[in-house]
Amino acid sequence: MMSQRADELSDEQLMSRLGGPGVETAISALYDRYSRTVFGVGLKILGDRSSAEELVQDVFLKVWRSASTFDPSRGSFSTWLYRVTRSCALDLYRKRAHKVHPVPEGESYLATARDSSAGPQEVVDESWLSWRVSRALEVLDAPHREVIELAYFRGLSQREVSERTGLPLGTVKSRTASAFKKLRGELAIQDTSREALR
Amino acid sequence: MRCAEIHPNLAAFVVGGMEPEEAAEVQRHLASCPDCRRELEELRKVNRALEAAPPPADPPSHLKDEILSQVRAEQRYPSTEEELSAAEERASSTSTRSKNLRIVLSSAAAAAIVVIFTLAVFFGFLREEPPVATIQLVPTPQEAAGLEGYWGVAEIRPQPSGNQQVELKLNNFEEPRPNSYYELWFVSGERRISAGSFTSVGEGETRVLLNAPPEARNYQTLLITEEHIDDHPTFGEEVALKGEVP
Repeated sequence: MMSQRADELSDEQLMSRLGGPGVETAISALYDRYSRTVFGVGLKILGDRSSAEELVQDVFLKVWRSASTFDPSRGSFSTWLYRVTRSCALDLYRKRAHKVHPVPEGESYLATARDSSAGPQEVVDESWLSWRVSRALEVLDAPHREVIELAYFRGLSQREVSERTGLPLGTVKSRTASAFKKLRGELAIQDTSREALR
Repeated sequence: MRCAEIHPNLAAFVVGGMEPEEAAEVQRHLASCPDCRRELEELRKVNRALEAAPPPADPPSHLKDEILSQVRAEQRYPSTEEELSAAEERASSTSTRSKNLRIVLSSAAAAAIVVIFTLAVFFGFLREEPPVATIQLVPTPQEAAGLEGYWGVAEIRPQPSGNQQVELKLNNFEEPRPNSYYELWFVSGERRISAGSFTSVGEGETRVLLNAPPEARNYQTLLITEEHIDDHPTFGEEVALKGEVP
């Protein structure tokens, strides 16, 4: 039984509990932290929700089954999880390469998620930047993430973000500036772990 | 304008959502300020990174439960040869109970599914090549009327633990009746092993991930039945689909 709340534990501490009685709590906490990133990167690589859902399942089951292969001295959990995700995505990409995945109505932004001119390995390799940015966005608090998502994924101008959120234009600008500052710091931190990918 | 006034606006400038007159003012300042140009370049790196960000989307809420169920199932069943033998013993000892659970296909009504295939051949193949194999599900004659074509597939993947993962993909498979659910069984003669229960979404695709213990590979039939909540955990007798290996 865990003596600390799971959400207070580091990723590495949660991983060390996957072999014991707290396995479900640990998996659940890791899922809460990372499933959006795995799903988002899955959408980016595989191009449809069904495949991205399959990827999320494959990845978290592999995390549990392969927990013993995680060595925190060789890199962060996030980097290790990215490698697991990349491997599972490549398997799914190859498996489903012959199938056609229509883009659901109302999710047109997914249609541009994958450059069809790129090969599977190339597409998957490009996902490292997507992973890093997604993790950096997850670190932002909700108000900062909101202004970034509205600007980048809804294509809204600063004034439109102001109208959508009801925030003064000056607040939108200052939140955007603050979000950029935090993202810059996060991306720089994450870049230092890149060598662990090789 | 001074740098202190420009800096808070540089991110908005990079995002590209400023009013034209504001943007022009920032550009005039940048033309004469190398410090702000350097800052701008740093922000543009963040901007380029954000363009690579995956779209914000949450996975469906049921996924987490399915993963935890799978973990639970794999924990429950043994994986070593010794434990397998013990499990086989336990399975044999339950056969008395299962004698009362004979399935009578001819008397079945239309509400559950039957899929039959040769597991010995199938799993033999899977053991050599671990990835995925797919079985088409075909409705029984009494269910075929009113249905058109393909109903779904079952994919089976052997797991490192020895468990057999079964993924069902059912198209337009009607929801169970009130206070009922579906259950997947591996069957051999009068013996059977439950691989878990599920429901369906009706119209559209129902995708379910279930798990069977390693000894299921010796069972020749896979059944999906409709079960009533609060009834004894036995076979349902209603059959709708039947599939066999060619």
